[in-house]
Amino acid sequence: MTGTLRIIATSAKSDFISKFTIVHPATRMLVIMCTNLFSMYFFFLLASYVGNPDVSPEYVIIGNVVQSVSTSTLYSATNISGTEKHTGTLEPILSSPSRLFFIFFGKSLFSISTGFVSVSVSLFYAAFLFGVDFSSANIGAIALICVLTCLSLAGMGLAIGSIGIYLRTSAILANLFGYIGLLICGVNFPVSYLPGWLQTFSYGMPLTYAVEATRSAVGGSALTMMAEPLLVMTLLGAIYLTAAWFIFGFFEKISRNRGSLDSF
Amino acid sequence: MSARAVSAGFKQQAVQFFADPQWIIPSLISPFLLSMVMIFLSSGGTSIEGPVVLQAVLGGGVLGMWANSLFSSSTSVSFDRINGTFEPMLGSGTRIIYVLIGRSLWSTLIGLLNAFIVFAIAEVMFGAGLNVQNPLLFFLALLMAMLSLSSVGLLISTLFVLTRKGGTISSVLEYPIYVMSGALVPISMLPAWMQPASLALAPTWGVDAIKYSALEGYGGMLGMSLITDVLMCVALSIVFIFSAYVVMLYVERKVLIDGTATRY
Repeated sequence: MTGTLRIIATSAKSDFISKFTIVHPATRMLVIMCTNLFSMYFFFLLASYVGNPDVSPEYVIIGNVVQSVSTSTLYSATNISGTEKHTGTLEPILSSPSRLFFIFFGKSLFSISTGFVSVSVSLFYAAFLFGVDFSSANIGAIALICVLTCLSLAGMGLAIGSIGIYLRTSAILANLFGYIGLLICGVNFPVSYLPGWLQTFSYGMPLTYAVEATRSAVGGSALTMMAEPLLVMTLLGAIYLTAAWFIFGFFEKISRNRGSLDSF
Repeated sequence: MSARAVSAGFKQQAVQFFADPQWIIPSLISPFLLSMVMIFLSSGGTSIEGPVVLQAVLGGGVLGMWANSLFSSSTSVSFDRINGTFEPMLGSGTRIIYVLIGRSLWSTLIGLLNAFIVFAIAEVMFGAGLNVQNPLLFFLALLMAMLSLSSVGLLISTLFVLTRKGGTISSVLEYPIYVMSGALVPISMLPAWMQPASLALAPTWGVDAIKYSALEGYGGMLGMSLITDVLMCVALSIVFIFSAYVVMLYVERKVLIDGTATRY
Protein backbone atom coordinates (compact mmCIF):
# COMPACT_ATOMS: atom_id res chain seq x y z
CA MET A 1 0.00 0.00 0.00
CA THR A 2 2.80 2.40 1.00
CA GLY A 3 4.65 1.48 -2.18
CA THR A 4 1.57 2.21 -4.26
CA LEU A 5 1.06 5.57 -2.61
CA ARG A 6 4.71 6.38 -3.18
CA ILE A 7 4.38 5.60 -6.90
CA ILE A 8 1.28 7.81 -7.16
CA ALA A 9 2.95 10.64 -5.22
CA THR A 10 6.18 10.47 -7.22
CA SER A 11 4.32 10.35 -10.49
CA ALA A 12 2.10 13.28 -9.50
CA LYS A 13 5.12 15.29 -8.33
CA SER A 14 7.11 14.72 -11.53
CA ASP A 15 4.06 15.62 -13.61
CA PHE A 16 3.45 18.88 -11.73
CA ILE A 17 7.13 19.81 -12.07
CA SER A 18 7.25 19.08 -15.80
CA LYS A 19 3.95 20.85 -16.54
CA PHE A 20 4.96 23.96 -14.62
CA THR A 21 8.46 23.95 -16.11
CA ILE A 22 7.08 24.02 -19.63
CA VAL A 23 4.28 26.50 -18.90
CA HIS A 24 4.60 28.80 -15.88
CA PRO A 25 1.64 28.58 -13.43
CA ALA A 26 0.76 32.24 -14.10
CA THR A 27 0.67 31.64 -17.87
CA ARG A 28 -1.37 28.49 -17.33
CA MET A 29 -3.82 30.44 -15.17
CA LEU A 30 -4.08 33.15 -17.81
CA VAL A 31 -4.80 30.52 -20.47
CA ILE A 32 -7.60 29.00 -18.35
CA MET A 33 -9.08 32.44 -17.63
CA CYS A 34 -9.07 33.54 -21.28
CA THR A 35 -10.24 30.23 -22.72
CA ASN A 36 -13.12 29.89 -20.27
CA LEU A 37 -14.16 33.52 -20.72
CA PHE A 38 -14.33 33.35 -24.51
CA SER A 39 -15.93 29.90 -24.67
CA MET A 40 -18.64 30.91 -22.17
CA TYR A 41 -19.19 34.19 -23.99
CA PHE A 42 -19.48 32.36 -27.32
CA PHE A 43 -22.28 30.12 -26.05
CA PHE A 44 -23.91 33.03 -24.23
CA LEU A 45 -24.05 34.92 -27.56
CA LEU A 46 -25.25 31.84 -29.43
CA ALA A 47 -28.11 31.25 -26.99
CA SER A 48 -29.04 34.95 -27.11
CA TYR A 49 -28.97 34.94 -30.92
CA VAL A 50 -30.97 31.75 -31.41
CA GLY A 51 -33.57 32.88 -28.87
CA ASN A 52 -34.95 29.44 -27.98
CA PRO A 53 -37.50 30.13 -25.19
CA ASP A 54 -36.58 26.87 -23.38
CA VAL A 55 -32.88 27.70 -23.26
CA SER A 56 -31.97 30.99 -21.62
CA PRO A 57 -28.41 32.36 -21.74
CA GLU A 58 -28.25 31.58 -17.98
CA TYR A 59 -29.08 27.94 -18.70
CA VAL A 60 -26.21 27.76 -21.18
CA ILE A 61 -23.77 29.51 -18.85
CA ILE A 62 -24.40 27.04 -16.00
CA GLY A 63 -23.91 24.17 -18.45
CA ASN A 64 -20.64 25.63 -19.63
CA VAL A 65 -19.39 26.10 -16.08
CA VAL A 66 -19.55 22.31 -15.70
CA GLN A 67 -18.26 21.75 -19.24
CA SER A 68 -15.08 23.64 -18.26
CA VAL A 69 -14.17 20.65 -16.05
CA SER A 70 -14.49 18.37 -19.04
CA THR A 71 -12.32 20.62 -21.20
CA SER A 72 -9.63 20.60 -18.50
CA THR A 73 -9.83 17.31 -16.64
CA LEU A 74 -11.30 14.86 -19.14
CA TYR A 75 -9.25 16.27 -22.03
CA SER A 76 -5.92 16.22 -20.25
CA ALA A 77 -6.46 12.89 -18.46
CA THR A 78 -7.32 11.30 -21.81
CA ASN A 79 -4.26 12.83 -23.40
CA ILE A 80 -1.71 11.65 -20.79
CA SER A 81 -0.74 8.50 -22.67
CA GLY A 82 -0.47 10.42 -25.95
CA THR A 83 1.71 13.09 -24.38
CA GLU A 84 4.06 10.47 -22.90
CA LYS A 85 4.25 8.74 -26.27
CA HIS A 86 4.88 12.02 -28.07
CA THR A 87 7.73 13.02 -25.76
CA GLY A 88 9.26 9.55 -25.82
CA THR A 89 8.77 8.85 -22.11
CA LEU A 90 6.19 6.07 -22.44
CA GLU A 91 8.87 3.45 -23.16
CA PRO A 92 10.82 4.06 -19.92
CA ILE A 93 7.52 4.14 -17.98
CA LEU A 94 6.52 0.79 -19.48
CA SER A 95 9.95 -0.62 -18.67
CA SER A 96 9.72 0.33 -15.00
CA PRO A 97 8.50 -2.30 -12.52
CA SER A 98 5.65 -0.06 -11.29
CA ARG A 99 2.09 -0.69 -12.43
CA LEU A 100 1.15 1.57 -15.30
CA PHE A 101 -2.24 2.35 -13.77
CA PHE A 102 -0.73 3.87 -10.61
CA ILE A 103 1.74 5.98 -12.57
CA PHE A 104 -1.03 7.34 -14.78
CA PHE A 105 -3.35 7.80 -11.81
CA GLY A 106 -0.66 9.98 -10.20
CA LYS A 107 -0.37 11.97 -13.40
CA SER A 108 -4.13 12.47 -13.52
CA LEU A 109 -3.96 14.43 -10.25
CA PHE A 110 -2.69 17.39 -12.25
CA SER A 111 -5.74 17.13 -14.51
CA ILE A 112 -8.00 16.98 -11.46
CA SER A 113 -6.42 20.07 -9.90
CA THR A 114 -6.67 21.93 -13.22
CA GLY A 115 -10.36 21.01 -13.28
CA PHE A 116 -10.87 22.56 -9.83
CA VAL A 117 -9.17 25.78 -10.92
CA SER A 118 -11.07 25.87 -14.19
CA VAL A 119 -14.50 25.38 -12.66
CA SER A 120 -13.74 27.99 -9.96
CA VAL A 121 -12.83 30.53 -12.64
CA SER A 122 -15.99 29.68 -14.60
CA LEU A 123 -18.18 30.03 -11.51
CA PHE A 124 -16.64 33.46 -10.91
CA TYR A 125 -17.45 34.51 -14.49
CA ALA A 126 -20.96 33.10 -14.23
CA ALA A 127 -21.68 35.12 -11.10
CA PHE A 128 -19.89 38.39 -11.86
CA LEU A 129 -19.84 38.69 -15.67
CA PHE A 130 -22.82 36.75 -16.95
CA GLY A 131 -25.21 37.65 -14.13
CA VAL A 132 -26.22 34.15 -13.05
CA ASP A 133 -28.21 34.46 -9.84
CA PHE A 134 -26.54 32.46 -7.06
CA SER A 135 -28.50 34.15 -4.25
CA SER A 136 -30.58 31.06 -3.51
CA ALA A 137 -27.97 28.52 -4.65
CA ASN A 138 -26.84 25.62 -2.50
CA ILE A 139 -23.14 26.54 -2.46
CA GLY A 140 -22.07 23.48 -0.45
CA ALA A 141 -23.78 21.20 -2.97
CA ILE A 142 -22.13 23.03 -5.89
CA ALA A 143 -18.72 22.54 -4.26
CA LEU A 144 -19.40 18.82 -3.75
CA ILE A 145 -20.61 18.43 -7.34
CA CYS A 146 -17.43 20.10 -8.63
CA VAL A 147 -15.23 17.72 -6.62
CA LEU A 148 -17.16 14.63 -7.72
CA THR A 149 -17.26 15.81 -11.34
CA CYS A 150 -13.48 16.30 -11.45
CA LEU A 151 -12.89 12.83 -9.96
CA SER A 152 -15.45 11.08 -12.19
CA LEU A 153 -14.19 12.74 -15.35
CA ALA A 154 -10.59 11.90 -14.42
CA GLY A 155 -11.69 8.25 -14.10
CA MET A 156 -13.33 8.42 -17.50
CA GLY A 157 -10.29 10.18 -18.98
CA LEU A 158 -7.96 7.46 -17.69
CA ALA A 159 -10.17 4.75 -19.18
CA ILE A 160 -10.22 6.42 -22.59
CA GLY A 161 -6.54 7.40 -22.34
CA SER A 162 -5.60 3.79 -21.59
CA ILE A 163 -6.84 2.89 -25.08
CA GLY A 164 -4.63 5.71 -26.35
CA ILE A 165 -1.59 3.62 -25.41
CA TYR A 166 -2.46 1.30 -28.25
CA LEU A 167 -3.07 4.12 -30.73
CA ARG A 168 -0.52 6.29 -32.46
CA THR A 169 -1.96 9.32 -30.67
CA SER A 170 -4.67 9.93 -28.10
CA ALA A 171 -5.26 13.52 -29.29
CA ILE A 172 -8.27 12.50 -31.38
CA LEU A 173 -9.92 10.73 -28.44
CA ALA A 174 -9.06 13.66 -26.14
CA ASN A 175 -10.61 16.17 -28.53
CA LEU A 176 -13.68 14.05 -29.11
CA PHE A 177 -14.46 13.27 -25.48
CA GLY A 178 -13.27 16.61 -24.11
CA TYR A 179 -15.73 18.51 -26.29
CA ILE A 180 -18.57 16.08 -27.03
CA GLY A 181 -20.24 17.18 -23.80
CA LEU A 182 -21.11 20.44 -25.56
CA LEU A 183 -23.50 18.46 -27.74
CA ILE A 184 -24.71 15.40 -25.86
CA CYS A 185 -24.56 16.14 -22.11
CA GLY A 186 -27.22 18.81 -21.74
CA VAL A 187 -24.66 21.60 -21.50
CA ASN A 188 -26.28 23.88 -24.08
CA PHE A 189 -29.76 22.40 -24.47
CA PRO A 190 -31.81 19.61 -22.87
CA VAL A 191 -30.72 16.05 -23.65
CA SER A 192 -34.31 15.37 -24.81
CA TYR A 193 -33.60 17.39 -27.98
CA LEU A 194 -31.22 14.67 -29.18
CA PRO A 195 -32.24 11.63 -31.22
CA GLY A 196 -32.84 8.52 -29.06
CA TRP A 197 -29.67 6.73 -30.13
CA LEU A 198 -27.56 9.72 -29.12
CA GLN A 199 -29.30 10.02 -25.74
CA THR A 200 -28.00 6.53 -24.91
CA PHE A 201 -24.46 7.90 -25.09
CA SER A 202 -25.48 10.94 -23.04
CA TYR A 203 -26.46 8.77 -20.10
CA GLY A 204 -23.12 6.98 -20.19
CA MET A 205 -21.31 10.26 -19.58
CA PRO A 206 -20.74 11.48 -15.98
CA LEU A 207 -20.95 15.06 -17.27
CA THR A 208 -24.67 14.69 -18.06
CA TYR A 209 -25.43 14.02 -14.38
CA ALA A 210 -23.04 16.74 -13.23
CA VAL A 211 -24.86 19.34 -15.37
CA GLU A 212 -28.26 18.19 -14.11
CA ALA A 213 -27.15 18.30 -10.46
CA THR A 214 -25.49 21.71 -10.85
CA ARG A 215 -28.64 23.24 -12.32
CA SER A 216 -30.61 21.89 -9.33
CA ALA A 217 -28.01 23.23 -6.88
CA VAL A 218 -28.02 26.69 -8.49
CA GLY A 219 -31.81 26.62 -8.18
CA GLY A 220 -31.40 26.04 -4.44
CA SER A 221 -32.32 22.34 -4.18
CA ALA A 222 -31.18 20.39 -1.14
CA LEU A 223 -28.44 17.79 -1.57
CA THR A 224 -30.93 14.97 -1.06
CA MET A 225 -32.88 16.17 -4.11
CA MET A 226 -29.87 15.60 -6.35
CA ALA A 227 -28.68 12.39 -4.72
CA GLU A 228 -29.62 10.26 -7.73
CA PRO A 229 -27.60 12.07 -10.41
CA LEU A 230 -24.65 12.39 -8.03
CA LEU A 231 -24.71 8.68 -7.18
CA VAL A 232 -24.96 7.66 -10.83
CA MET A 233 -22.12 10.04 -11.75
CA THR A 234 -19.86 8.70 -8.99
CA LEU A 235 -20.72 5.12 -9.92
CA LEU A 236 -19.90 5.80 -13.58
CA GLY A 237 -16.59 7.39 -12.53
CA ALA A 238 -15.75 4.27 -10.48
CA ILE A 239 -16.69 1.96 -13.37
CA TYR A 240 -14.49 3.92 -15.78
CA LEU A 241 -11.61 3.87 -13.29
CA THR A 242 -11.94 0.10 -12.90
CA ALA A 243 -12.01 -0.27 -16.69
CA ALA A 244 -8.83 1.81 -16.83
CA TRP A 245 -7.16 -0.58 -14.36
CA PHE A 246 -7.90 -3.58 -16.57
CA ILE A 247 -7.06 -1.90 -19.90
CA PHE A 248 -3.75 -0.54 -18.59
CA GLY A 249 -2.95 -4.02 -17.23
CA PHE A 250 -3.85 -5.61 -20.56
CA PHE A 251 -1.60 -3.40 -22.64
CA GLU A 252 1.16 -3.61 -20.04
CA LYS A 253 1.08 -7.39 -20.34
CA ILE A 254 1.11 -7.38 -24.14
CA SER A 255 3.89 -4.83 -24.19
CA ARG A 256 6.11 -6.85 -21.86
CA ASN A 257 5.36 -10.25 -23.39
CA ARG A 258 6.16 -9.04 -26.90
CA GLY A 259 8.93 -6.68 -25.84
CA SER A 260 7.26 -4.15 -28.11
CA LEU A 261 7.03 -1.43 -25.42
CA ASP A 262 4.92 1.42 -26.85
CA SER A 263 4.82 0.08 -30.44
CA PHE A 264 1.72 -2.02 -31.07
CA MET B 1 10.70 36.44 -52.21
CA SER B 2 12.24 32.99 -52.40
CA ALA B 3 9.84 30.86 -54.44
CA ARG B 4 11.96 27.77 -53.86
CA ALA B 5 11.73 28.15 -50.08
CA VAL B 6 7.95 28.69 -50.30
CA SER B 7 7.60 25.62 -52.50
CA ALA B 8 9.84 23.55 -50.18
CA GLY B 9 7.82 24.64 -47.13
CA PHE B 10 4.61 23.67 -48.93
CA LYS B 11 6.03 20.30 -49.97
CA GLN B 12 7.41 19.52 -46.52
CA GLN B 13 4.07 20.26 -44.89
CA ALA B 14 2.30 18.09 -47.47
CA VAL B 15 4.67 15.17 -46.84
CA GLN B 16 4.16 15.51 -43.08
CA PHE B 17 0.39 15.55 -43.57
CA PHE B 18 0.35 12.42 -45.72
CA ALA B 19 2.67 10.65 -43.28
CA ASP B 20 0.02 11.07 -40.58
CA PRO B 21 -3.25 12.43 -42.01
CA GLN B 22 -5.22 11.70 -38.83
CA TRP B 23 -4.09 15.08 -37.49
CA ILE B 24 -6.86 16.71 -39.49
CA ILE B 25 -9.44 15.09 -37.18
CA PRO B 26 -8.80 17.05 -33.93
CA SER B 27 -9.40 20.35 -35.73
CA LEU B 28 -12.65 19.00 -37.22
CA ILE B 29 -14.29 17.90 -33.99
CA SER B 30 -14.88 21.17 -32.15
CA PRO B 31 -16.25 23.18 -35.16
CA PHE B 32 -18.55 20.34 -36.15
CA LEU B 33 -19.89 20.07 -32.60
CA LEU B 34 -20.50 23.82 -32.46
CA SER B 35 -22.50 23.68 -35.71
CA MET B 36 -24.59 20.87 -34.31
CA VAL B 37 -25.15 22.78 -31.06
CA MET B 38 -26.52 25.69 -33.07
CA ILE B 39 -28.78 23.40 -35.10
CA PHE B 40 -30.19 21.66 -32.00
CA LEU B 41 -30.53 24.95 -30.11
CA SER B 42 -32.50 26.42 -33.00
CA SER B 43 -34.61 23.35 -33.62
CA GLY B 44 -35.78 22.87 -30.04
CA GLY B 45 -35.71 19.10 -30.57
CA THR B 46 -37.72 19.06 -33.81
CA SER B 47 -36.38 18.75 -37.33
CA ILE B 48 -35.56 22.02 -39.05
CA GLU B 49 -34.42 23.09 -42.49
CA GLY B 50 -33.61 26.31 -44.24
CA PRO B 51 -31.34 29.27 -43.60
CA VAL B 52 -30.60 28.50 -39.93
CA VAL B 53 -29.18 25.09 -40.78
CA LEU B 54 -27.26 26.52 -43.72
CA GLN B 55 -25.89 29.32 -41.56
CA ALA B 56 -24.84 26.83 -38.84
CA VAL B 57 -23.10 24.56 -41.32
CA LEU B 58 -21.39 27.44 -43.12
CA GLY B 59 -20.28 28.83 -39.76
CA GLY B 60 -18.98 25.40 -38.77
CA GLY B 61 -17.00 25.23 -42.00
CA VAL B 62 -15.36 28.57 -41.27
CA LEU B 63 -14.61 27.52 -37.69
CA GLY B 64 -13.10 24.33 -39.08
CA MET B 65 -10.83 26.35 -41.35
CA TRP B 66 -9.77 28.53 -38.42
CA ALA B 67 -9.14 25.54 -36.14
CA ASN B 68 -6.95 24.03 -38.82
CA SER B 69 -5.10 27.28 -39.45
CA LEU B 70 -4.52 27.81 -35.72
CA PHE B 71 -3.40 24.23 -35.17
CA SER B 72 -0.99 24.42 -38.11
CA SER B 73 0.47 27.74 -37.05
CA SER B 74 0.97 26.66 -33.44
CA THR B 75 2.58 23.36 -34.37
CA SER B 76 4.57 24.70 -37.31
CA VAL B 77 7.56 25.85 -35.28
CA SER B 78 6.89 23.67 -32.22
CA PHE B 79 7.35 20.51 -34.28
CA ASP B 80 10.62 21.90 -35.62
CA ARG B 81 11.77 22.30 -32.03
CA ILE B 82 10.70 18.76 -31.10
CA ASN B 83 12.22 17.26 -34.25
CA GLY B 84 15.44 19.25 -33.84
CA THR B 85 15.08 20.95 -37.24
CA PHE B 86 14.62 24.51 -35.97
CA GLU B 87 18.32 25.34 -35.52
CA PRO B 88 19.41 24.05 -38.96
CA MET B 89 16.53 26.03 -40.48
CA LEU B 90 17.72 29.17 -38.70
CA GLY B 91 21.27 28.54 -39.86
CA SER B 92 20.25 28.22 -43.50
CA GLY B 93 20.46 31.14 -45.90
CA THR B 94 16.69 31.30 -46.34
CA ARG B 95 14.42 33.51 -44.31
CA ILE B 96 12.09 31.42 -42.14
CA ILE B 97 9.08 33.52 -43.15
CA TYR B 98 9.20 32.00 -46.68
CA VAL B 99 9.16 28.49 -45.25
CA LEU B 100 6.23 29.48 -43.01
CA ILE B 101 4.37 31.00 -46.00
CA GLY B 102 4.78 27.71 -47.88
CA ARG B 103 3.44 25.80 -44.89
CA SER B 104 0.53 28.24 -44.56
CA LEU B 105 -0.41 27.68 -48.21
CA TRP B 106 -0.64 23.95 -47.55
CA SER B 107 -2.72 24.68 -44.45
CA THR B 108 -5.03 26.76 -46.65
CA LEU B 109 -5.59 23.77 -48.88
CA ILE B 110 -6.25 21.46 -45.94
CA GLY B 111 -8.45 24.12 -44.31
CA LEU B 112 -10.68 24.06 -47.38
CA LEU B 113 -10.81 20.27 -47.17
CA ASN B 114 -11.66 20.66 -43.48
CA ALA B 115 -14.60 22.92 -44.34
CA PHE B 116 -15.90 20.53 -46.99
CA ILE B 117 -15.66 17.62 -44.55
CA VAL B 118 -17.80 19.57 -42.05
CA PHE B 119 -20.34 20.26 -44.84
CA ALA B 120 -20.33 16.60 -45.88
CA ILE B 121 -20.78 15.23 -42.34
CA ALA B 122 -23.64 17.67 -41.71
CA GLU B 123 -25.28 16.55 -44.95
CA VAL B 124 -24.89 12.83 -44.27
CA MET B 125 -25.87 12.88 -40.59
CA PHE B 126 -28.52 15.55 -40.51
CA GLY B 127 -29.44 16.20 -44.15
CA ALA B 128 -28.40 19.81 -43.71
CA GLY B 129 -28.99 20.49 -47.41
CA LEU B 130 -26.16 22.77 -48.47
CA ASN B 131 -27.96 24.53 -51.33
CA VAL B 132 -25.84 27.60 -51.84
CA GLN B 133 -27.13 30.45 -53.95
CA ASN B 134 -24.07 30.88 -56.18
CA PRO B 135 -21.69 27.86 -56.05
CA LEU B 136 -18.80 29.46 -57.98
CA LEU B 137 -18.91 32.66 -55.95
CA PHE B 138 -19.26 30.55 -52.81
CA PHE B 139 -16.10 28.60 -53.61
CA LEU B 140 -14.15 31.79 -54.35
CA ALA B 141 -15.42 33.40 -51.15
CA LEU B 142 -14.48 30.29 -49.19
CA LEU B 143 -10.98 30.35 -50.69
CA MET B 144 -10.62 34.04 -49.88
CA ALA B 145 -11.81 33.50 -46.29
CA MET B 146 -9.37 30.63 -45.88
CA LEU B 147 -6.48 32.73 -47.18
CA SER B 148 -7.46 35.48 -44.74
CA LEU B 149 -7.50 32.97 -41.86
CA SER B 150 -4.10 31.71 -42.98
CA SER B 151 -2.76 35.28 -42.94
CA VAL B 152 -3.80 35.55 -39.28
CA GLY B 153 -2.27 32.12 -38.65
CA LEU B 154 0.96 33.22 -40.32
CA LEU B 155 1.27 36.22 -38.02
CA ILE B 156 0.63 34.00 -35.01
CA SER B 157 3.20 31.41 -36.10
CA THR B 158 5.89 34.10 -36.32
CA LEU B 159 5.18 35.01 -32.69
CA PHE B 160 5.33 31.34 -31.67
CA VAL B 161 9.00 31.31 -32.70
CA LEU B 162 9.64 33.20 -29.47
CA THR B 163 8.00 30.66 -27.19
CA ARG B 164 7.85 26.93 -26.61
CA LYS B 165 4.35 27.34 -25.20
CA GLY B 166 2.75 27.69 -28.63
CA GLY B 167 0.44 24.72 -28.18
CA THR B 168 -0.89 26.01 -24.85
CA ILE B 169 -1.26 29.61 -25.95
CA SER B 170 -2.98 28.67 -29.21
CA SER B 171 -5.96 27.26 -27.28
CA VAL B 172 -6.63 30.82 -26.05
CA LEU B 173 -6.95 32.06 -29.62
CA GLU B 174 -9.56 29.56 -30.79
CA TYR B 175 -12.75 31.08 -29.37
CA PRO B 176 -11.98 34.79 -29.90
CA ILE B 177 -12.06 34.24 -33.68
CA TYR B 178 -15.19 32.10 -33.29
CA VAL B 179 -16.79 35.06 -31.49
CA MET B 180 -15.40 37.95 -33.50
CA SER B 181 -15.50 36.59 -37.07
CA GLY B 182 -19.30 36.48 -37.11
CA ALA B 183 -19.17 32.89 -38.41
CA LEU B 184 -22.03 31.62 -36.24
CA VAL B 185 -23.24 34.71 -34.42
CA PRO B 186 -23.51 38.03 -36.34
CA ILE B 187 -21.12 40.70 -35.13
CA SER B 188 -24.09 43.01 -34.56
CA MET B 189 -24.66 40.86 -31.43
CA LEU B 190 -21.28 41.91 -30.04
CA PRO B 191 -20.94 44.91 -27.73
CA ALA B 192 -20.14 48.16 -29.55
CA TRP B 193 -16.58 48.32 -28.17
CA MET B 194 -15.77 44.89 -29.60
CA GLN B 195 -17.07 45.51 -33.11
CA PRO B 196 -14.11 47.62 -34.35
CA ALA B 197 -11.74 44.80 -33.32
CA SER B 198 -13.95 42.38 -35.20
CA LEU B 199 -13.92 44.59 -38.32
CA ALA B 200 -10.12 44.79 -38.16
CA LEU B 201 -9.91 41.04 -38.74
CA ALA B 202 -9.68 39.99 -42.39
CA PRO B 203 -11.69 36.75 -41.81
CA THR B 204 -14.74 38.75 -40.63
CA TRP B 205 -15.07 40.20 -44.14
CA GLY B 206 -14.38 36.82 -45.72
CA VAL B 207 -17.17 35.26 -43.64
CA ASP B 208 -19.57 37.98 -44.78
CA ALA B 209 -18.66 37.31 -48.42
CA ILE B 210 -19.38 33.61 -47.88
CA LYS B 211 -22.81 34.46 -46.49
CA TYR B 212 -23.51 36.74 -49.47
CA SER B 213 -22.71 33.96 -51.91
CA ALA B 214 -24.63 31.27 -50.03
CA LEU B 215 -27.68 32.79 -48.35
CA GLU B 216 -30.54 34.06 -50.45
CA GLY B 217 -31.59 37.61 -49.63
CA TYR B 218 -28.65 38.16 -47.25
CA GLY B 219 -28.43 41.85 -46.36
CA GLY B 220 -24.74 42.03 -45.47
CA MET B 221 -22.86 42.69 -42.26
CA LEU B 222 -23.71 46.19 -41.00
CA GLY B 223 -25.14 46.93 -44.46
CA MET B 224 -21.80 46.40 -46.29
CA SER B 225 -21.80 45.27 -49.94
CA LEU B 226 -20.07 42.18 -51.34
CA ILE B 227 -17.50 44.36 -53.13
CA THR B 228 -16.62 46.05 -49.83
CA ASP B 229 -16.24 42.60 -48.23
CA VAL B 230 -13.83 41.44 -50.93
CA LEU B 231 -11.77 44.64 -50.90
CA MET B 232 -11.52 44.75 -47.11
CA CYS B 233 -10.71 41.04 -46.82
CA VAL B 234 -7.92 41.25 -49.41
CA ALA B 235 -6.52 44.52 -48.01
CA LEU B 236 -6.51 43.32 -44.41
CA SER B 237 -4.99 39.96 -45.40
CA ILE B 238 -2.14 41.83 -47.09
CA VAL B 239 -1.68 43.91 -43.92
CA PHE B 240 -1.52 40.70 -41.83
CA ILE B 241 0.99 39.07 -44.19
CA PHE B 242 3.15 42.20 -44.27
CA SER B 243 3.01 42.43 -40.46
CA ALA B 244 4.04 38.78 -40.23
CA TYR B 245 6.98 39.51 -42.52
CA VAL B 246 8.15 42.48 -40.43
CA VAL B 247 7.66 40.66 -37.11
CA MET B 248 9.53 37.64 -38.44
CA LEU B 249 12.50 39.76 -39.52
CA TYR B 250 12.72 41.10 -35.97
CA VAL B 251 12.19 37.73 -34.30
CA GLU B 252 14.69 35.94 -36.52
CA ARG B 253 17.32 38.59 -35.88
CA LYS B 254 16.68 38.53 -32.14
CA VAL B 255 16.94 34.75 -31.95
CA LEU B 256 20.18 34.74 -33.94
CA ILE B 257 21.78 37.55 -31.90
CA ASP B 258 20.72 36.06 -28.55
CA GLY B 259 21.62 32.52 -29.62
CA THR B 260 18.45 31.24 -28.03
CA ALA B 261 17.01 29.13 -30.80
CA THR B 262 15.80 26.34 -28.56
CA ARG B 263 16.00 27.88 -25.09
CA TYR B 264 13.80 30.72 -23.89
